[in-house]
Order: sequence, then C-alpha cells, then structure tokens
Amino acid sequence: MAGRELRRYFATLTILTVALALVPFVLGFNQYYILLAATSLIFAVFVVAWNIIGGYAGQLDLAPIAYVGIGGIVAAQLLKYYGITPWIGMFVGAGASMLLAAAIGYPTFRFGIKEVWYALLTASLVVILNNIAHLPQFLGSLDHYLPARTGWYYLIFSDYQNLYYVILAVLVVTIVINLKISNSKTGYYLRAIREDELAAEALGVDVRKYKLKALMTYAGIMGFTGYLYIVLQGTYSYHTFDSPTSLTIAIMGIIGGLGSIAGAFTSAIFLKTVEEYLRSTIGATIPGLYLLIYGILLIVVGIFKPEGITALFNWAKKKIGFDRRGA
Amino acid sequence: MIDPIIVVANIIDGILMGLLYALVALGLSLIFGLMDIINFAHGDFVMISAYLAWIVAINFMVDPSVTALITVPLFFVIGLAIYKVIIEPILGAEPLIQIAVTVGLGFVLQNIALAMFHAEPRSYPAPALNFGINIGPITLVAAKLVAAAVSLVSLFLIHYMLTKTKFGLAIRATSANRMVAPLMGINVGKVYAVVFGLGIALTALGAALYMTWGQVDPYLGASFSLLSWVIVAMGGLGGVVGVLASGLIVGVLEALGSTFITPSARMAVVYLAFFLLLWFRPRGLFARR
Repeated sequence: MAGRELRRYFATLTILTVALALVPFVLGFNQYYILLAATSLIFAVFVVAWNIIGGYAGQLDLAPIAYVGIGGIVAAQLLKYYGITPWIGMFVGAGASMLLAAAIGYPTFRFGIKEVWYALLTASLVVILNNIAHLPQFLGSLDHYLPARTGWYYLIFSDYQNLYYVILAVLVVTIVINLKISNSKTGYYLRAIREDELAAEALGVDVRKYKLKALMTYAGIMGFTGYLYIVLQGTYSYHTFDSPTSLTIAIMGIIGGLGSIAGAFTSAIFLKTVEEYLRSTIGATIPGLYLLIYGILLIVVGIFKPEGITALFNWAKKKIGFDRRGA
Repeated sequence: MIDPIIVVANIIDGILMGLLYALVALGLSLIFGLMDIINFAHGDFVMISAYLAWIVAINFMVDPSVTALITVPLFFVIGLAIYKVIIEPILGAEPLIQIAVTVGLGFVLQNIALAMFHAEPRSYPAPALNFGINIGPITLVAAKLVAAAVSLVSLFLIHYMLTKTKFGLAIRATSANRMVAPLMGINVGKVYAVVFGLGIALTALGAALYMTWGQVDPYLGASFSLLSWVIVAMGGLGGVVGVLASGLIVGVLEALGSTFITPSARMAVVYLAFFLLLWFRPRGLFARR
C-alpha cells in the first residue's frame, strides 16, 4: 500500500480518536452513559482484534471470551492476592492468553483443523474453561470481587471517564496493530491463506506459522484487555467464560465484514449501542430482543451481503466519489 | 471411594442418554454428509420442539412422549420450509457463511423461546413414565429406558431406509456424487429437502422423548448442537452405525465425568476428548471415506 494512503488512514484514526475522546463531554459526564460508551468501546477492541484471526486469517474463532477471561482473571487474581498492579498484571494476563493460544493453536494448525472443526473446537474451548473454572480448586461457584480500592494503581476509579480513556487508548493501539498487520507481509500472507490455503502453501507461505502468529496476536490483545472487561463487569467468576458473549464478538466481526477495520469498529459500536438501548428500554418485557436482531441480521448478511457493513461503506464511497482509485 | 454400584448405574444411564444423543445427531450427520450444510442451529430445533411438546402435553394432559405424533410431522414440514427459505440459498457457500447464517437462525430460535417462555426451566409435572425400575441394586428411570428403546428402533429404521429402500439408495448416491446423481434420474433438490426435513423431524422425536423426564430452557439447544457435532466428528460420516457408536461413547464419557469429577464438569470431559479426537483422528473413529 502506498505511503500516502497509509498516511490518510492515520489521519482518519487521529480524527476518530479526538472525536471519541470528546464523547464523555458530549454525554455531560453522565456516569451511566459513560459506562455504556465504555462497554461499546471495549467490544470495539474485541471485534477489531478478532478481525486479525477471523478477518485476515479467515479462521472462524468462537473463543474470544476464553482469551479475555484468562487474561482478565490472571490480572485480577494477581491484584487480589499479591497486590500486583494491573499495569503489570495485564501484561502477565496477555502472556497467559498467548500461552493458551499457542497450546491450542499449535496442534490445531499442525493437524490441519479448519473451517467448521476449528469453529467447533474453539466453541468447546469456552465450555471447557467454564467447567474448569467452576471447579472448587479454581474459582468455584462464587462471584469474585476486585479489591475495594480506587486509583490509577488499581485501574479502578470512582467514576467511569478515566476507564473510558484507558479503553480508548487500548482501542487506538489495537487499530494501529491491525493497520500494521494489514499492510505488512504477514497481512498479505494471511489473506492468501484465507482465500486459498493450499495455493498459499504451494507458493511457499508457512501457513501454520502465520496462522499461529495471527492467533497469538489476537489472544494477546484479548488477554490484555481482559482486566478492563472485569473492571467494567464489576465481578468475575466461571460465568466470565460465557458462550453467548463469545459468539456475539465473532458475530459482530462477521456483520462488520471480514478483514475490514472500519467495518469491525462500526458494527461493534452500533450493535452494542443498540443492544444497550433495547436492554434499558424493553429488556424487561422482551429479554433477548437484541440477540434476535443479531440473528436476523446474520441471516440477512449471510444470504444477501457476505461483505457485511463494508459493502455499505464501499457503496457510499462510490456515491460521494471518495474512493479515488476508481472502483 | 466411589461406590462401584453408583459407577455402574451412571454408566448405564450414560448409555441410555447416548442412544438419545445418537438419535438427535443422526439428523445432523445425514444433512452434513449429504449436502455439506453446516448447521449450527441443529440443537435449537431440539429446544423449540421440546417447548412445543411441553405445551401440547400440558394442554391436552398427555404424556410428552405421545406429543411426538404431532410434533414430528409438524417439524418435518418446518424443516422443509427452513430448507427452502434459509438453507437453499447457502448451498455450496463457504463454511463461514453457512456457520454465520445457521448461528443466526439459532439466535432467532433461542430468543423467540426466551421472549415467549422466559428463562425458567419448564418440565412436564406428571409424566406417566417417571418411576424407577429396580434391577438388582440398580434403579433405572423407566422414561429413559423407553426413550433409549424408541431411539434404538428409530436408528434401525433409518438404517434400513438408507440401505434397503430406493429412496435410501438415492440419498447414498447423491452424497457419493452430487454431479452424477441427477444424471441417473435422481431429483437432487427433492432429496436435499426431504433429508433436511427428516433431520429436523428427528430432533422433534428426540425432544419429545427427552421431555418425559427432562426440562427445557432456551439454552438447551446450544449444548445439544455442540454435542451433536462432537458425535458427527467422532462418527466420521460412517453412517448410522458410526453415529450410534459415537453417541454411546459421548453418553458414557459424560457419565464418567459426572461420576468421577463433578456433574458441573461433565461437559469438559466430553469436549477434551473431542480436542484429542480432532487432533489425532480428524476423520473420526469410524471413518468410511
């Protein structure tokens, strides 16, 4: 990709960052709204990170919450029992998630597990971790709470805007990592693997190595963000390994359009906001309405527009003549 | 130390459950083997038809097993309709699209159930078959025995249909080569539709049997889906016999996990076995092709 185009991407990212940074001011520092905004933002991190394995490498990973959970719980337990600050704990958590990803990914890619079997394997990984965490030797059946302290040392605050800005910083880093991968040799290799694995292998791409690299990068970001997710949730337990949440992240990635950073970001922010809105308005009478909408969206996107929201962007670009490459 | 009688009783219970799992997974195996459709919503049909069985049983005061007479034909028709509207457009699409669409279908079914019945588990209050049968020191639930027997007979009937009838021959021919089959005068579209309907009808039969002792909540489908896929992976598309054997293995593994670790960790045992299976025997234990 040309340097000019890359610069344009970074310019867009700067504008986006400034706009997102202004959100708490626009919301008038209403704590409830900022909590919702922070929740949408953290899902944007998850979906943009998922884009690396799901979008670029084309592996339908249904275990995002496994990596979020492992990383988050490791950091939370380190803080709770050893008083180690999450500034260190989050990196340890990211490392733990990457280790898990390597342990799962190495044999899985070595034995050529892909497509539906990869999806099933990752879906069952979430159930396994849920069951194991439920054992009395690990988390047991109780809810666990973070220490009742506040401050930057704990990354726990009495109001939500600081947390919001921390998540925004993570999101910006995640998008930059995505852009870097997208425009690197790794990115091209991954897309080659997604389009035709056999052909890529025949051309000399080390398929296993690059798939594992994508999986571990994604797992690392998930694990790092896990602690922030737990702070937002307030508690952690075996329920943290929640299959529907895990599926939701992958679904947002698919609806956004595989391999598109803008699509992943937009679909996460839009769907999560709609979800929270529906939950707060009619959630009590019709629970799960937002999941029903996800389901219908997925069917419609799958049957009619496999490119997802990205298709909408491309159409708009063509309309306003923004795409100077002349699509 | 765990009482050996309890272990034996749990293993027998696992075998009975395994037969029911095999019945549900058979539909999935037929659909996947024949038309390469990856259906992640398979278990959600079990969940929806379990609710239907529950409604019919409550309103007409009949045992849930009897409701199969209504739900099975109804779900055959529903299966045909779902095939026409949702499955036909994604035939031959890449796996990711198929998974996305069927996961979407599962979400729709799950949340329709959640909106209508809320999250509390429902069960039939007075099942006729909910009594114990003593065989020596072991007590078995009659309802499970009946469910296992009906499952076994149904598996046999499907096996007979596949191997001895003309329609079964058409199914096997189509799954062997879908390009050549139409040249031999087989209406492939019709075979696909009927097999999909049959697969969904089998979930309704499984659900009606399950409801004689079990309880249903909107999330029942997710576990049935994943279990059915594990059975299909083990069976390796090896026909009815492969599915039957894998169903029994899954049922027994679940029972062993429940006995020797804790009931809440029983699925972890099954899925860990699934990991090892995928890694070391990716074509299944009873692969035919």
